[in-house]
Amino acid sequence: MTGRTMRHPFVQQSPMPGFGLAMGITVTMLSVVVLVPIAALLLKGADFGLANIWATVNRERIWKALWLSFRLSFLAALFNLVFGVVLAWVLARYRFPGRRLLDAAVDLPFALPTAVAGIALTALYAPNGVFGSVLADAGIKVAYTQWGILVALIFVGLPFVARTVQPVIEEIDREVEEASATLGASRLYTLRHVVLPMLTPAALTGFALALARAVGEYGSVIFIAGNIPLVTEIAPLLIVIQLEEYNYNAAAAIGIAMLLISFAMLLAINLIQIWSRRRIGHV
Amino acid sequence: MVIQIDEISKLFGTTAALHPVSLSIPGGALVALLGPSGSGKTTLLRILGGLEYPTSGRVLFDGQDATGMTVQERRAGFVFQSYALFRHMTVFDNIAYGLNARPRASRPSKAEIARRVTRLLDLIQLPQIADRYPSQLSGGQRQRVALARALAIEPRMLLLDEPFGALDAKVRKELRQGLREIHDTTGLTTVFVTHDQDEAMELADLVVVMSMGRIEQIGRPQDIRTRPATPFVRDFIAG
Amino acid sequence: MSDIPLPPAGLRPAAARRFHAPTDEAPAARLVLILLAVLGLGVLVLAPLATVFAEALSRGIGTALASLSDPQAWSAIRLTLLVAAIAVPLNAVFGVAAAWAITKFDFRGKAFLITLIDLPFSVSPVVAGLCIVLTFGANSLIGGWLVAHGFPIVFALPGIVLATMFVTFPFVARELIPVMIEQGRAEEEAALTLGASGWRVFRTVTLPNIRWALLYGVLLCNARAMGEFGAVAVVSGKIRGQTATVPISIEMLYNEYMTVAAFSMAALLAFLGLVTLLIKTALEIRHADQLTAQRRH
Repeated sequence: MTGRTMRHPFVQQSPMPGFGLAMGITVTMLSVVVLVPIAALLLKGADFGLANIWATVNRERIWKALWLSFRLSFLAALFNLVFGVVLAWVLARYRFPGRRLLDAAVDLPFALPTAVAGIALTALYAPNGVFGSVLADAGIKVAYTQWGILVALIFVGLPFVARTVQPVIEEIDREVEEASATLGASRLYTLRHVVLPMLTPAALTGFALALARAVGEYGSVIFIAGNIPLVTEIAPLLIVIQLEEYNYNAAAAIGIAMLLISFAMLLAINLIQIWSRRRIGHV
Repeated sequence: MVIQIDEISKLFGTTAALHPVSLSIPGGALVALLGPSGSGKTTLLRILGGLEYPTSGRVLFDGQDATGMTVQERRAGFVFQSYALFRHMTVFDNIAYGLNARPRASRPSKAEIARRVTRLLDLIQLPQIADRYPSQLSGGQRQRVALARALAIEPRMLLLDEPFGALDAKVRKELRQGLREIHDTTGLTTVFVTHDQDEAMELADLVVVMSMGRIEQIGRPQDIRTRPATPFVRDFIAG
Repeated sequence: MSDIPLPPAGLRPAAARRFHAPTDEAPAARLVLILLAVLGLGVLVLAPLATVFAEALSRGIGTALASLSDPQAWSAIRLTLLVAAIAVPLNAVFGVAAAWAITKFDFRGKAFLITLIDLPFSVSPVVAGLCIVLTFGANSLIGGWLVAHGFPIVFALPGIVLATMFVTFPFVARELIPVMIEQGRAEEEAALTLGASGWRVFRTVTLPNIRWALLYGVLLCNARAMGEFGAVAVVSGKIRGQTATVPISIEMLYNEYMTVAAFSMAALLAFLGLVTLLIKTALEIRHADQLTAQRRH
């Protein structure tokens, strides 16, 4: 093995067997299933040319769809940030009949396929649906409007914040909260100044996951969205439409745009997280 | 402040952590609650601090019934075994916490808070660490910061749960002296919980020996050493 | 020390009622939060679930069952099971291999490899499908050659399997890595010093230690695999009776206003999801110790 003579060997010597086999399977499958396909998308883009990509993306219909996707995803993730922290708190701290059921129900959006959620939400919020008819009487239209998309995106992102924050709450040392009380702080002051800062990094992680999921979401949204160009058309749908017209270049252009914006967003959120951990995470 | 404990008992479910116990602590005394784990000493301390509610009996501060007072109203400076410092706040913000948490009407000005924090840092002989975070402190420093944080609210009494439990032997000895000095400077009625009989005997004016939720003996250190009231006390201080 | 006289004890039931532990919220606040959680989950999550079954059974259970026994429905169910039966074991093998390499060895670029494994989570399923189409489609380099040799990938089973594997790729590895980090290498090293072969160490030491975490990961992977819609919609071509999986059939039936049929298929998948959830909860209760590592990270 040449690794012995190198200053920094690729892999440190270990008595454990099977590195070659395990690494071989990992890299091969990762390449075939994920890396080569993503590279194919980027190559297609390079082939098409930056100018052409810009020309394809720079149209009102596409900007509107991208803006809609990201705006509603952000709002849905924001809702889930607040509701998820409440859910996590209730599930971690309170004992009440039906708690286990509630705890399991949080995972339902993960367990229910997106297409199933999509048609169920549509049936529920359509003008003749159970919720839809009540809302219609109040003059509110949800299905086939941006509200409908928001409802669907809230549904798919619901578990993320709750599930990342819940274990953190369970690990909080109760003495810290007691200390705050003995120093004269009201319960609300304790929650605001002691508990919330401890939950922030995990809550931001959950927010980022919910956001990433919502931006790319397709199945649960297309049924309830109505898909009206310029109004309720989400970005992933545009890719499907281009593909159905065998317009691969345009599909690739939009796909690359979405990929870049997702990565930029993830990067930004990671930076916020590093910042928040540094500020409050002196663990 | 005079603390009176009148027939206090505490049940957790069906197990009795405290059988009815009574105890009077004169104002300004430094008292040790001494006993093995499970003797009920920490439960008693937490009832004094308002962190637990007794199943029966009363707590009186200066002759006033304080049993129903909330923890916030009691103004007991409480030092926890784990210190329970706020790890996302600097030492300065930790010590200033109780003052900042007051309602606006009774909150001191920023300058006044800074002045008090500086004075407390001098008192615990750590004037340079205001900007550090708890994770950057040694165990002994953390304990002293916790003490300063408790003193910042101008407490009516000082309650300490195993204040030296998490420290190594050398630091422990130094900090014992530190606590004695702070007690003598402030004149606060001070109650601390310990399982270490040397610590109790060396530091306290009055030692309360507890076992299985009962008080075995109350007395000055030398009395307990020379005249143990029960076989348990004799065995415990000998061990 | 009973020299201080005690004042007479008064009655104070009000004080006892007023007291609640300082780390608890006031009972009223607690009630409001619990109601908020119950109501929120009820409206957002349980109502859609109930709707699936209510719509499926709106014309009676007979109609629902009849629509499931339709030959095209059967073909969709068979295809979905087949896709999961190929994609899930492959991803399980990948997950175990990746976790073994990452947790038992130190090598350069480990953090980067973990990032790459997580990549599919931040890619839209539709973009994932698009990537598969661009790589293996008839007018791509690889795809063209494969089609010429009579092995089409896109609009056929292999494409659906690849798309499914893409979106479920990280599931098993993500469950295993934290658990295996927690367990360390000592047991394997002990077995090696006792003369066991590498394969034997894996089978008799590692596998028993990770089996519940592995099952947990496989379960999540399977649920997602059988329900995947976006990525499969792009690569399947939606040929009735041939490349339409259950989720794709749901869309087709729904768009043709065959509501009961669509919801019957949906109820089937929802039932599967509920069973998954049940097993998952049971695993979390019974084998919490082996799954804690992953819950903590």
